[in-house]
Amino acid sequence: MTNKLIDEIRSSLDNGEIDSHMLFEEAVTKAKEYQKEYNCFVTILDEKQEENGNSILRGIPYALKDNISTKGILTTASSNILKDYIPLYDATVYKKLKEAGAVLMGKTTLDELAMGGTGTTCHTGIVRNPWDKRRMIGGSSAGSAACVALGIVPFSIGSDTGDSIRKPAAYGGVVGYKPTYGRVSRYGLFAFASSLDHVGVFARSVKDVCYVMDVIKGHDDKDMTSLVDHDGVYIDNINRSVCGKKLFYIKEAIDIDSNSGELKKIIDNFNTTIEKCRELGMIVEEVSFRKDLLEAIYPAYMCISCAEATSNNSNLTGIAFGNRVDGHSINDIMIKTRTKGFSELIKRRFVLGSYVLQKENQEKLFLNAGRIRRLIVDKMNELFKNYDGLIMPSIGEIAPFFDKDSDRLSDEYLILGNHLVIGNFGGFPSISIPSGFVDKMPVSVNITGRAREDALVLNIANKLEEVLGYRGLVKENE
Amino acid sequence: MITKDILKKLASNLMFEMEEEEYDTLEKEFAIFLKQMDLIAHIKDVDGVEPMTFPFELDINDHFLRSDVANNEINFDDMKVNVKDYEENKIKVPKVVE
Repeated sequence: MTNKLIDEIRSSLDNGEIDSHMLFEEAVTKAKEYQKEYNCFVTILDEKQEENGNSILRGIPYALKDNISTKGILTTASSNILKDYIPLYDATVYKKLKEAGAVLMGKTTLDELAMGGTGTTCHTGIVRNPWDKRRMIGGSSAGSAACVALGIVPFSIGSDTGDSIRKPAAYGGVVGYKPTYGRVSRYGLFAFASSLDHVGVFARSVKDVCYVMDVIKGHDDKDMTSLVDHDGVYIDNINRSVCGKKLFYIKEAIDIDSNSGELKKIIDNFNTTIEKCRELGMIVEEVSFRKDLLEAIYPAYMCISCAEATSNNSNLTGIAFGNRVDGHSINDIMIKTRTKGFSELIKRRFVLGSYVLQKENQEKLFLNAGRIRRLIVDKMNELFKNYDGLIMPSIGEIAPFFDKDSDRLSDEYLILGNHLVIGNFGGFPSISIPSGFVDKMPVSVNITGRAREDALVLNIANKLEEVLGYRGLVKENE
Repeated sequence: MITKDILKKLASNLMFEMEEEEYDTLEKEFAIFLKQMDLIAHIKDVDGVEPMTFPFELDINDHFLRSDVANNEINFDDMKVNVKDYEENKIKVPKVVE
C-alpha cells in the first residue's frame, strides 16, 4: 500500500481496509528489507509515534532527510562528526508534518553534510539506484529519492542547495520539488549554504507534492527568511487549464554538439515533451542566453556554496556537541575532532571555500561569483516577464555508473548538468517530473517559474504529468 | 599559482589536518578549480554589478522581526542526552581558556 498515491492510501485508511499501524509496519518492513542493497536510511524507527493531527496525510508514513532536526531522534547529516548527535528540538517542517498527523518512519541517507551530488559520500556507505543497482541515485538527498522510488513511502522530505532534490528525483524516476526560497521554513535544517538552501518534497505525483506542500509551507517566526503565505491551497489550483501559458528553453543548453547517443535520446525525449506541452495549448519557444554566464554557473555555485559552508560548519568542533576526540588543549581537541570527523571530500570543499574568502581572492572570486549570480537571476527575471516558466531536461544524462563520476571538479562545463542551480540562485520554484526512459533508466523534465509563483509551476507540472503518463511510477524489487 | 604550502595553511586555518596524498588530490583539483575561477575572474560586464547575497528582494510585508519573547527554551533533561559529561544541571566541557 505504501507504494500507492496518497489519494488511494487515504481512501483505504478512511474505509477501514488498513490502519496507520499497518502502514507504518509495511513501510518499516520494506525499509529493512531494502536497506542492505540500497542504504536509503540512517535510522529506521522501531516504534510508531502517536499521530495527533488531522489532514489528508494523517496516518501516512514518510521519511525525512537526516539533516533535519528531530528531537530525541538521531540526526547525523551522514557525517562522522555528528554520528551520535541527538537534536534538542524539532525542525519546523517536521513539527508541521507531525501536527498534520503524518507518521515519520525513518531518517534518510545523504551526501555528507548535504555537500555532494552522488549519494556516495555518506558515513554509512553509498546509496544505490532502484532502477539499476550499479548506478548512483544522485544526491545529496539520495535516500529520500530512493525510498520513494522503491515504494517504501509515498513521500519524503529533502533539501536542495544546488540541485539536491531535483537531480536524484530525475535519476530515480520520481517527482522532486524545490519551492520558492523561504516558502518552507529552514528552521531545524542543518545549514549548508544559507542563501541557497531550500526544504522540499519527493513524491510519485505532482498532486502528492501539493498535498505535502500545503502542510509544510508558510511563514515561521523561527526563520526570518520564510515567506508570508499568500498562496492559497495548491491542491485547489493544479487542474486549471494551462492553455496559453508560455514556456521557454535555453538554446545554448540544448544545442549541444555531442557524440553521446544517450544525450541525443534525452534531447529527443525533451522534444517529445515539448510537443505534449503544445498539445496542451502552451506556447514553447527557444531563447538565447549568454553562454559565458551559463558556463560560469558551476564555478560561481562552487564559490558561493563552499564559502558559505565553510562558515556555517565552523560550529562543528566537538566542544559544545558532536563526536569529540580527546586532546591536550582546546585547539588540539578541535583539530583532532575535525580531522577525524570530516571526510576528505568535505575537507577539500572547505579548503576551496576558505580560498575564495581570502582577502586577496575575495574581490575577483567570491564577489564576482555574487555578481554573476545577479546577472543570471536578472536575465531570468527579464525572461519571466514574457514567459511563465523555463522548461529543460532536468539533466543531460541518465544516472551514472558508480565508477563513472565523482565529486571531484570536472573541467567540462556541462551546461545541461548545472542549469538547475539557477533555481537556487534566484530562489525560483522548480520541479522535476519523470518524462520517460532512456536505456531502461528514467529521464526527467524540469519546470522552473517565477519566485513566489509556486502554484503556477505546480499547475503546469500537473497538467504535463497527466499527458506524459508517468504518474505514480515506482520501482519495486523483483 | 597554488602550492601545497598554501593549501596546508588553509587547512590549518580551518582546524583540520589532511594526509599527504589528500593534498596531492587537492592540488590537482585546484588546477581545474583555478581554471574555472578564471571564467569568473574574467567575466565581462560585471563592473558596477552589486554582488547578490540573497535570492530576491523581500516585499515590505516580508520585513518584520519577531517579538522579543522566548520561543525556544531547552530544558536540561533534553539537553543532557546529547552531552558527554555533566554534573547536577551543569554540562562539563573541555577547558577552553588557557
